[in-house]
Amino acid sequence: MTAPAVTPYRSPLPPARDGFPQLLRSEWTKARSVRRWSVTLLAAVVITVFVSLLSALSGSFDVNGSPPPPTKGPDGAPVTDSFPFVHQQLTGDGSITARVSPLTGREGHIAPWAKAGVIIKASTDAGAPYAAVMLTPAHGVRLQSDFTHDTAGSSASGAEPRWLRLTRSGSVLTASESADGKKWSEVGRATPAGLPRTVQAGLFAATPELVTVQRHFGSTSVGGGPSEVTASFDRITVDGDRGTVVDGDQGTGTWRQDRVGADPTRAAGSPDRSTRTSSAWTLTGSGDIGPLIPDADLTQRSLSGAQIGLIPLAALGVLFITAEYRRGMIRTTLTAGPRRGRMLAAKALVLAGIAFLTGLLAAVLSFLLAEPALRDNRPNPASYPEAALSDGPVLRAVLGTALLLAAVAVLALAVGALLRNTAAAVTLIVVVFVLPMVLLAGLPVDAAHWVMKVTPLAGFAVQQTTPRYDFVNTVCLPENSCYPQGPWTGLAVLCAYAAVALGLAMWRLRRRDA
Amino acid sequence: MEATVAATIQVRGLRKQFGQTVAVDDLSFTVHPGQVTGFVGPNGAGKSTTMRMLLGLDAPDAGSALIGGRPYASLRRPLTEVGALLDAAAVHPSRRGRDHLLWLAHTHGLPGRRVEQVLEQVGLATAARRRAGTYSLGMRQRLGIAAALLGDPPVLLLDEPVNGLDPEGIRWIRGFLRALAREGRAVLVSSHLMSELQDSADHLVVIGRGRLIADTPVAELLAAASGDRVALRTSARTDAMSLLAREGGTVAANGRDSLTVTGLPAERITALLGAAGVPFSEVGSDRATLEEAYMELTRDAAEFRAAEGFPADTARDGQELTS
Repeated sequence: MTAPAVTPYRSPLPPARDGFPQLLRSEWTKARSVRRWSVTLLAAVVITVFVSLLSALSGSFDVNGSPPPPTKGPDGAPVTDSFPFVHQQLTGDGSITARVSPLTGREGHIAPWAKAGVIIKASTDAGAPYAAVMLTPAHGVRLQSDFTHDTAGSSASGAEPRWLRLTRSGSVLTASESADGKKWSEVGRATPAGLPRTVQAGLFAATPELVTVQRHFGSTSVGGGPSEVTASFDRITVDGDRGTVVDGDQGTGTWRQDRVGADPTRAAGSPDRSTRTSSAWTLTGSGDIGPLIPDADLTQRSLSGAQIGLIPLAALGVLFITAEYRRGMIRTTLTAGPRRGRMLAAKALVLAGIAFLTGLLAAVLSFLLAEPALRDNRPNPASYPEAALSDGPVLRAVLGTALLLAAVAVLALAVGALLRNTAAAVTLIVVVFVLPMVLLAGLPVDAAHWVMKVTPLAGFAVQQTTPRYDFVNTVCLPENSCYPQGPWTGLAVLCAYAAVALGLAMWRLRRRDA
Repeated sequence: MEATVAATIQVRGLRKQFGQTVAVDDLSFTVHPGQVTGFVGPNGAGKSTTMRMLLGLDAPDAGSALIGGRPYASLRRPLTEVGALLDAAAVHPSRRGRDHLLWLAHTHGLPGRRVEQVLEQVGLATAARRRAGTYSLGMRQRLGIAAALLGDPPVLLLDEPVNGLDPEGIRWIRGFLRALAREGRAVLVSSHLMSELQDSADHLVVIGRGRLIADTPVAELLAAASGDRVALRTSARTDAMSLLAREGGTVAANGRDSLTVTGLPAERITALLGAAGVPFSEVGSDRATLEEAYMELTRDAAEFRAAEGFPADTARDGQELTS
């Protein structure tokens, strides 16, 4: 058969473009042109803020009098600063040296982070700047300063006596350690904030409280209480511009026995249990020196509405693709963009952008409204660190919440693309997020932590603002919404789920008939 | 020759199987530019499956389906190469008509102006800002045709575009399709109703059960089906019948005063009747309708007519639906 002699049609229109930006714009046009979806976004914001506020206002506390305001460290953050302190005045440059015997606890219990050593502190006021070099039962020699700084020295076992020295030169304090008092090695240097010319140099012993956790389905009991540590010091020398004072020789009476902060183990006014022999001191310490970890992360709690707010966003993510499958519009989409992987990538990117901005609005509003409400509702508002939107950790939590919601939406889109069915996909997403939340309350702590680490729920770790310190043991309980992973690690787990699901969806989309 | 290939649809040895069912079986045909090609077959004959394979939506099990000599998936700017209407219902009901075209236009960086143009072209400009869910089926068809025209492509592929149109709409689309073809476009229009293609198709590709039944110009098909039939009116029906039958014609009476004669040319009939003094009027060749031609064509393919109840029943139902 012969073709008729016809001049084939040529369009007079300017040439079209087929780039990725065009696909993005197209998906954006799709997203904004369904009014119901805009309403869903609004619902996500309202639900997130509402649930956050509700949880902020629902907690009630029995307040018996007002507890004392917490001690503030040099940077204004709440700290724990409570220990027996045997000290001398030291003006200008100088040093303090002592040999610390192995630490002992009470009834055989000793905290791994119990500590004793030499310290130079601006004053005997709780919260005053300091640097200290110390021996610990399980973590060797450490140099710590101003509550949040920690440098590891040798991993000397707590079973051998250790020589420790702290030398002041201007504003810098250098810590050294020695096994025999002859060969010294430097542990590190610290520069406590605003150290005055005259400081207090001395000996200390401290230990964190003992904590035991028992968990049964639905209830957790956290037990424990003040603990004690005993350490002996000898070969004590203080070198300074007031001359060398060797205890037991001419320096008698220059040592002052004091206590920084309140002693949690005894009533006010009861005698100190530090004792002195001819040339040595034995200190029995309780209380601790370090950052005060608040019992609740108010910023995190103020963002808790995202756990429910994710549902409308997940539904939108699912619908963004299943609505096309339901009506066969996916075929129009795929004829307009036959490179299917690119199309899904454009969809995911547009959806992620929309969910991020929606999530950001929801998170900012939740924080601004719920955080002050949570604070006012607490018996001791001052014991929580000040939180402003511009603070690094708060900003991370707020932006992280937006990223988390974007990742959830993309995960939902991928699940929608894989299942091609709205109801099934929405159900799956809700189960994936809500079921672990329900399980957390009942699982043993280790299992609950595992769930919080490996399921998409791990992403909520990004909402945590309470700092973690390796040298502070904290009880991390699921019911306190304490996630075992760092904020970004947790978010990365969720993002990995979204990325893998999206990859699978692309692979399937390319292979299957539409 | 290259330019001619650019505006053609070529199907070669195409096969597609869904489970046990062979939807398309060794199908080959070519759609040329400058004419409207009707793609006809009963529902389930494999028309939509073929179109989906042409559009790269389904992968063929064997053979090739090429547009301008290339598989759809390799087209860089497909909307400017082929315009397709697959399913008029495939729009989100909450989206306004204009927005539906706009997202499509944006995939190819086409301006909003182009959307207004095609809306105008299909007569949907006044309804452009209404949500697609409020459209009648006919309006959705127009929206789908507008979408196919967006990229101003040289090839058009329309699956059942007449479905749901009112009589005015049917008249419009016939003219519209012919005009598009006259511009040098290759237009493939599928339908399960032969009558819909009357007066619009130049060429027919007829399939049944996934196989090619005919690939022929409409004119040839009609000529073959009409054969040498002659219709005439006469007030002396019995006389005329006996006379013409004697002379070797096959005569059928289809009314009180009209006859259809086969086997005798018109001039001979006039001469015979004139000589015998039998009164007559309106002697003319009796053109078969496309539908009759189709029935002729598929008479042998009885197996699928029996199975599908096609074409007469379906055709009648279809007519009632569309009028």
